[in-house]
Amino acid sequence: MITATNLGKRVPMASGELSILKGIHLEIKSGETAAIIGASGSGKSTLLGLLAGLDTPSDGDVCIDGTTLGDLDEDGRAALRGREVGFVFQSFQLLPALTALENVMLPLELQGDGHAGERAAGFLERVGLGERTDHYPRQLSGGEQQRVAIARAFAGAPRILFADEPTGNLDRATGERIADLLFDLNREEGTTLVLVTHDLVLAERCARRFEMDSGQLQEVEVA
Amino acid sequence: MPLLFRMLRRDWRGGELGVLFVALILAVTMVSGISGFASALKSALRQESHSFLAADVAVRDSRPLPSQWLDDARAQGLETAEVLTFRSMLFHGDDDMALASVKAVSDAYPLRGLLRLSDTAYGDWREHRGAPAPGEVWLEPRLFALMDLSVGDTVGIGEADFRVAAAIRSEPDRAGGFIGVGPRVMLNIADIPATRVVQPGSRVRYRQLYAGDVDVATAFTTELEERLSAGQRLQSVDSSQPAVGRALERAERFLLLAGSLAVILAGVAVALAARRYSERHQNYVALLKSLGAEAPRVRFLYAASLAIAWAVALVLGWVLAWGLQAAALEAFAERFTAPPSLTEPRPYVIGAATALVCVVVFAWPPLARLTAVSPLRVLRSDVPLHDAREPRDYLIAVVAIALLMWAYSADLELTLIVLGGLSLVVLAGSAIAWSLLRGGRVMGMQAGSVWRLALASLQRHGLGNTLQLVVFAIAIMLLLLLTLLRTSLLDEWQSSVPEGAPNHFVLNIAPEELGAITTLLDDQDVERERLYPMLRGRVMAVAGDELPAEAEEGRPEQREANFTWSAEIPDGNELAAGRWWAPGELEAVSIEEGFAEGLGIGVGDRIDLLIGSAPLSVEVTSLRTLDWESFKPNFFMVFPPGLLESYPVTYMTSFHLPPERKNFLNSLLKAHPTATVIEVDAIMMQLRQTLEQVSKAIELVLALVLIAGALVLVAGVQATSDLRLRESALLRALGASRGHILGGVTVEFVALGTMAGLMAVLAAEAAFWGLQTFVLELDYAPSPALWPLTVAVAALLIGALGIYNCRRVVRVAPATVLKEV
Repeated sequence: MITATNLGKRVPMASGELSILKGIHLEIKSGETAAIIGASGSGKSTLLGLLAGLDTPSDGDVCIDGTTLGDLDEDGRAALRGREVGFVFQSFQLLPALTALENVMLPLELQGDGHAGERAAGFLERVGLGERTDHYPRQLSGGEQQRVAIARAFAGAPRILFADEPTGNLDRATGERIADLLFDLNREEGTTLVLVTHDLVLAERCARRFEMDSGQLQEVEVA
Repeated sequence: MPLLFRMLRRDWRGGELGVLFVALILAVTMVSGISGFASALKSALRQESHSFLAADVAVRDSRPLPSQWLDDARAQGLETAEVLTFRSMLFHGDDDMALASVKAVSDAYPLRGLLRLSDTAYGDWREHRGAPAPGEVWLEPRLFALMDLSVGDTVGIGEADFRVAAAIRSEPDRAGGFIGVGPRVMLNIADIPATRVVQPGSRVRYRQLYAGDVDVATAFTTELEERLSAGQRLQSVDSSQPAVGRALERAERFLLLAGSLAVILAGVAVALAARRYSERHQNYVALLKSLGAEAPRVRFLYAASLAIAWAVALVLGWVLAWGLQAAALEAFAERFTAPPSLTEPRPYVIGAATALVCVVVFAWPPLARLTAVSPLRVLRSDVPLHDAREPRDYLIAVVAIALLMWAYSADLELTLIVLGGLSLVVLAGSAIAWSLLRGGRVMGMQAGSVWRLALASLQRHGLGNTLQLVVFAIAIMLLLLLTLLRTSLLDEWQSSVPEGAPNHFVLNIAPEELGAITTLLDDQDVERERLYPMLRGRVMAVAGDELPAEAEEGRPEQREANFTWSAEIPDGNELAAGRWWAPGELEAVSIEEGFAEGLGIGVGDRIDLLIGSAPLSVEVTSLRTLDWESFKPNFFMVFPPGLLESYPVTYMTSFHLPPERKNFLNSLLKAHPTATVIEVDAIMMQLRQTLEQVSKAIELVLALVLIAGALVLVAGVQATSDLRLRESALLRALGASRGHILGGVTVEFVALGTMAGLMAVLAAEAAFWGLQTFVLELDYAPSPALWPLTVAVAALLIGALGIYNCRRVVRVAPATVLKEV
């Protein structure tokens, strides 16, 4: 379960402090799927960074499965991410010098998994890239790269998956296939999914939807 | 652990470790190789200079030396030998005789260096240590022809007869000066009493030789210095450094300097490469952290990668250094009586330590800061980069470079001069760079679009470009400096032993023989120099103050010297004080500066001389300096023409004789038995060979330093290449043509190269002046011809490297480039 209490983020600017997020309250239960939608610059990605413990809030706190992130230092938060969290990014974030297989192995190796290779190969199989394990990212299409990224995200067996505009760099048809894959795997693995997007169609596939506007978050009633 | 190796493999494949790795290998190779070679050269130098004494230390006197000193030396574990030299007649048969320079030596002679002997006059020689057996003599080859001798014949010296046992081809301590006149006869010192030629009052020079462990010999020298009485002179390596030794010493200093510069260049290359490496790894670290890697783990990953890179570079660098030393020593093989070991640990340890300092001081700080990269970068690429090197890092780097250079060269003066030149580049360079870049921008506003683009880009990256400019300028300055030094050193050597220079002197030519000797030389097509009149005289009094016949406490003794006369100042001499005489002036003399100093003579002093038994009083009108290593006739005292003509005078000249025509000396001496020939061809040949070998070694090292310099240039261009690639790709995406972008990049890098070249020329000349004047003690002359060349080469080279580095951007789709960088 993810809880955010009175979450705020301010950044210093030349003209004084700028408030990006203000008084955000949020609760997402285990296994839920939630979408955060909003215009560019509304603060969606900042909120995702805070929820995943990639950044620290100016006010308030985030709690993941009973652990308050504010009580942890950077290394503690990294360890928590390693255990509990997976990511899918808009720009895929694959390492260009590693093969598809090696990219998927990365979180497993960080966890000290002795069977990283086999497990990674299994996940690539599940995303339909079993034949392309030795390909480098530059040899793969955008959709294929995002599938590798999804395999990597699930390979670490996370309890929560954060996805930042996962279809933002893809054409509509490819985007839909990627979304299908993401939701299918999510269902199979029973993962909590937090998705940031400005694509309303994608957002509608989530059980809960929140709208971000000028640093404030509001849950949108689902009909 | 697998992650670590995968990361290393990935970095190697991506070319990111390449420059860092090569810079480390180069640092180890240079430092180990050059310092190993320099120390080998040093030991060659020591052996060389000691062999010129035939000992480590020697004492000489015109009276017998106390035998107690020999006993004391042996008690301390030193080897000893005795040498006696004098002139005597050598007889063969009833009427054949020749004036010879006799050298009587004890059994242990020579303590350092070796003799060369042969069974026939000019036959194959062999090396030998030890005195002739009692009853035997060794003769110089000329005597065999002159007196019609062969090995086994009997010759007489004084009242004793000797069997001729060998021809003596060279002896280590035969000085090139005018002292050992007459062909050499060597015999055992035990035979001296039997000859009865050494009587009280005979002109004999006594020498005692000592050699052994460096520390013991040094301590003994200090002890001896206190026991010396008037007339006894200590000869050590420092006081008898011959031309060969000087050349080797300069070469050694040049090599140490080159090595130090290589260390700086390698350090700069390592720093630049590490900086770029860390920039490129920020996203990687952010991703690792987002996937759960903690800071200590990231730190371990990079520390271990660096340690592995260091260890591998160390092994490869050592192997290369070993090869470098082996190649360099091969050229010097015959210089060593005991060749230095290639496995001497010190150079390798120094190399390892240098590379370690490079890694810890230059490479680690930017990598250590990677752990502070925010994982948020995976979401937002605009999270600020951890780019700035803290002032503390710079300070540590400068101190580390200074200490490394100092430790390496063991020469504070040299270190300070080079660091001074470098500071000049960095401080003045930054200021000039900043204002030039600004000025360029203003000019560029009026220029065409390619220029505007380029100059705007130069100014926009002001800080990065200033750093780049300073780095380029440092690399070019150091390379230029080394090239200047090498050229000056080689020129100096070349001019010290020119091809075809006179290598034989003839002395004691009677005035009536002048015609016959010059005709003989000219008929045989022997190139000769002018004739110098020559007579010997003695300085009796200075400014009315009579000098004692033998040295007294604090007072100089009477000195004998060679006199000549000349209307003009002799070749290669320079006036140090006073004036040269006007035509018609008499009763004047010009004295060599060091000789005058020894006797306390100044310009304006009146001195009393004795030539034969005739007194002469003249005024000192000038002091001269001259080069005693010039292989030209040099005189302590030069008089105006018209003053000395009435005294008994002989003449001397010098000529060049190639080795295959040495037999000409026999016909010359047969026709003119009273003339004396002094051969300096062997010494000159030895000097020329040494210089050729040293020159080769210097070229080799220069080539290596050039590689280090090139590496710095590559690392420097790469330092900002990601930024440039990204911007160029953006421009390309906006529709800029290939020519537009390449034109911009070209102008930008050519401008950087030109500015760096200009700064480098200024700083290199300044440092060159300092090193020539204070460290190498050579004359400084600016080299304006190199200035435009350097600037042009710098502009071309850096321009070309810049284009090469940015070539991808016009070949590959902009999106691909933007995704990668």
